[in-house]
Amino acid sequence: MNKVFYPGLNETLYSCKMENGLTVQVLPRPGFSRKLAYFVTDFGSIHTEFLLDGKKIKAPAGVAHFLEHKMFELPGRDVSAEFAALGANVNAFTSYDVTAYYFSCTENFLPSLRLLLEFVSTPYFTEESVKREIGIIDQEIGMNADSPERVFENLMQAMYCSHPIRVPILGSRESIREITPEILNQCHRAFYTPANMILCVVGDVDPQQVLDTARQVLGDEKKEAGSKLRPWQEEMTCHRETVRMPMEVAMPNFQLGFKCESVGTGEDAIRQEIIGDLAAEALFGESSELYLQLYESGLIDSSFGGGFETVDGCALLTCGGDSNQAEKVRDAIVARAEELASTGIPDADLLRMKRSALGRRIRDLDSFDSTCFRLCAYQLSDFDYFRFPGVYTDVTAAQVCAFLEKVIKKERCALSVIEPRRQS
Amino acid sequence: MIQSFQLFPGVTLRYFADNRFKQGCLSVQFVRPMAAEEAAMNALLPAVLLRGTKQYPDLRAITLHLDDLYGASVSALVRRIGDYQTTGLYCSFMEDRYAMDGDAILAPIVDFVRQLLLEPVTEEDGFCAEFVESEKKNLISAIESELNDKRVYAGVQLLKVMCRSDAFGIPRLGEKKSVEAADAKKLYQHYQRILKESRIELFYVGAAQPETILALLKNMLAGIQRCYVNLPEQTAFCDAGGEHTREAMDITQSKLCMGFVTPITNRVREFAAMQLFNAIYGAGMTSKLFMIVREKMSLCYSIGSGYYGTKGIITVSAGIDQNQEETVRAEILRQLQLCQSGDISDGELIAARKAVLSGLRTVHDSPGAIEGYHSTAGLSGLCFDLEEYRRAISAAKIADVVEAAKTVRLHSSFFLQGVGE
Repeated sequence: MNKVFYPGLNETLYSCKMENGLTVQVLPRPGFSRKLAYFVTDFGSIHTEFLLDGKKIKAPAGVAHFLEHKMFELPGRDVSAEFAALGANVNAFTSYDVTAYYFSCTENFLPSLRLLLEFVSTPYFTEESVKREIGIIDQEIGMNADSPERVFENLMQAMYCSHPIRVPILGSRESIREITPEILNQCHRAFYTPANMILCVVGDVDPQQVLDTARQVLGDEKKEAGSKLRPWQEEMTCHRETVRMPMEVAMPNFQLGFKCESVGTGEDAIRQEIIGDLAAEALFGESSELYLQLYESGLIDSSFGGGFETVDGCALLTCGGDSNQAEKVRDAIVARAEELASTGIPDADLLRMKRSALGRRIRDLDSFDSTCFRLCAYQLSDFDYFRFPGVYTDVTAAQVCAFLEKVIKKERCALSVIEPRRQS
Repeated sequence: MIQSFQLFPGVTLRYFADNRFKQGCLSVQFVRPMAAEEAAMNALLPAVLLRGTKQYPDLRAITLHLDDLYGASVSALVRRIGDYQTTGLYCSFMEDRYAMDGDAILAPIVDFVRQLLLEPVTEEDGFCAEFVESEKKNLISAIESELNDKRVYAGVQLLKVMCRSDAFGIPRLGEKKSVEAADAKKLYQHYQRILKESRIELFYVGAAQPETILALLKNMLAGIQRCYVNLPEQTAFCDAGGEHTREAMDITQSKLCMGFVTPITNRVREFAAMQLFNAIYGAGMTSKLFMIVREKMSLCYSIGSGYYGTKGIITVSAGIDQNQEETVRAEILRQLQLCQSGDISDGELIAARKAVLSGLRTVHDSPGAIEGYHSTAGLSGLCFDLEEYRRAISAAKIADVVEAAKTVRLHSSFFLQGVGE
């Protein structure tokens, strides 16, 4: 395996691309008990249209998440119970652009890794089990319907016209009823091939043993994968300016989003991301003038926060929290961005923000989960995550100001508010 | 691994040396008896302290300073540990060795914590009234926002019903009306008493040498006049009788919470068997409740149990369809009866044991987990040190788990009935 030492971070990363196309990364952490493995496919809720065997397929909304639930079944075996018997904790999640399966353990690492690779690479779907899953996901959709986190889903619907980020990750009660074993098989065949996946391990493990286990379970053969269709035509203006929803909540909660150009992949993508984050920090971060002004005037409280987010095919700058006057917060942000873009950001301020952001990222490396997931996510974007300190050094105040000038415009902005239901 | 030092009367430093991490952490906890008359003030206090000091008089000045310290963070720390409530500050900061050009972080952050604790912005004989009023609003909003997460809301309602005569029923952040009653002067007087009388627990995890930390922290608290008042011991659950209550709300998914009691607390050795019972019964993805009620009967998305060892309370919470209430209630009780009648397999015991042991092994894998476990275990009255705890979990047999299960009885329940679409 390829071994790289990053002296500034005191980290050593092993990586390689196997013959079957799987990318394997191992970050040894000697002296720690916990071992964590992520097996991630570059397939999320937005990838419902794709080509497989030359045929165009359009899967129902929510299929990636449904598939994630169904992967935990093997013929005549109970995957969760097998992990439990090994003392490992297994789970999974589906986001807009990836599906991740992971386990953590303190013993029996190799058998657990073998089981992870085995169950995620083995499709097994029956009519009966698909039907049973609908009941469980119905409850998950119901739980989601009552959660103020709906504010983000509503924002996506307000911002985007065509990009499927506007569709909830879980799909709808109707769309999940269109899912069949055949569709699940097609999605699995299209996107659960090694070449479309990443295996990443963090912990006190032997990198070569990880690689050997992956080879034993997955073989060397390179399989044909599906190819994603991205027929998304998205203008930089928003679909709707404001969207409101009443709910059983105590305080109004809002999310504000500004549409940004998609960042693509490679070093340029992470540079854009860091510029976006620093712009958010300069504009409304806790050390900004605007934050103090909004906080002291009671327009925001300590729940306020935001940052730059990227998803396959789109990017956005968001912020939100509890507030009785979200429109005023939005207007203040837009006005302040104009000011900043014209006055500029002093170099000393940028240096301070960089130092703070860098310190937080370095501290975050203590978290196995965050580090393991970031290694996967950045690898999918074709970037070697541990090179982030160098990218921070290169970013200039002019780049941050140019970003603010371009992006923080009212026409690029949408506001989503969850309001307390009126008492009857 | 942990060294303890008595810095002043009633002031203990627990020091955990570890150079594996990129960050260190320091917590300062004032330990108070959980009491309705001061819970809200204790929750309000750290938020007010974090608003400004004489040298850093507002939020922006504070954040600019923390930015310079490589994004170090200082946050409010308010915990409920059985009969106690702790209030104070938690900070995490990058280790000095990762800083550029030999910048120091540890010493300035400790000095900053000293300023937060001992040099707050004051007016006449109270805290800055503007800070207090603004943080009262924030705290009320935090208390009210428990309604946003219906599972949390239902769980809090259940504990209020169960613990009508026990301090454990007092919400961690206190009640809204007590927050409203607090003012800058009362809070400042209360804080002066806390500084003087409370037990103070300091916890450090990181790479610095003990003598460095001792010197820094002694200096940090040197300005306090102490007159330490001993804390009472943790007590058993005070039972005012069970009740089964319900509330209708315009939501899609209903929440069923059932509260059980057992005489087994974390202060007796049977605690290990009870932990295993909880894991087999309802905690985690291989528990009976998850495997039967969710996976086999498809009745819910979320279901799980929790064991509050300080009081001997077990709660089960499930997100369900309102029409399934009786079915789910009956199944939750049936699964308990199965455990009580000895229907626990070797496989279930092994899985539960491994899950609990794995959790205990990873306690030392992050500064936050080290601080969280060790700074609360002692206060909670836990009768084991970490090694004894592991041995007790490894030694417990099915018969011990069944005996523990037999002590569990239903006490109260709360049903949040969803009457929305």
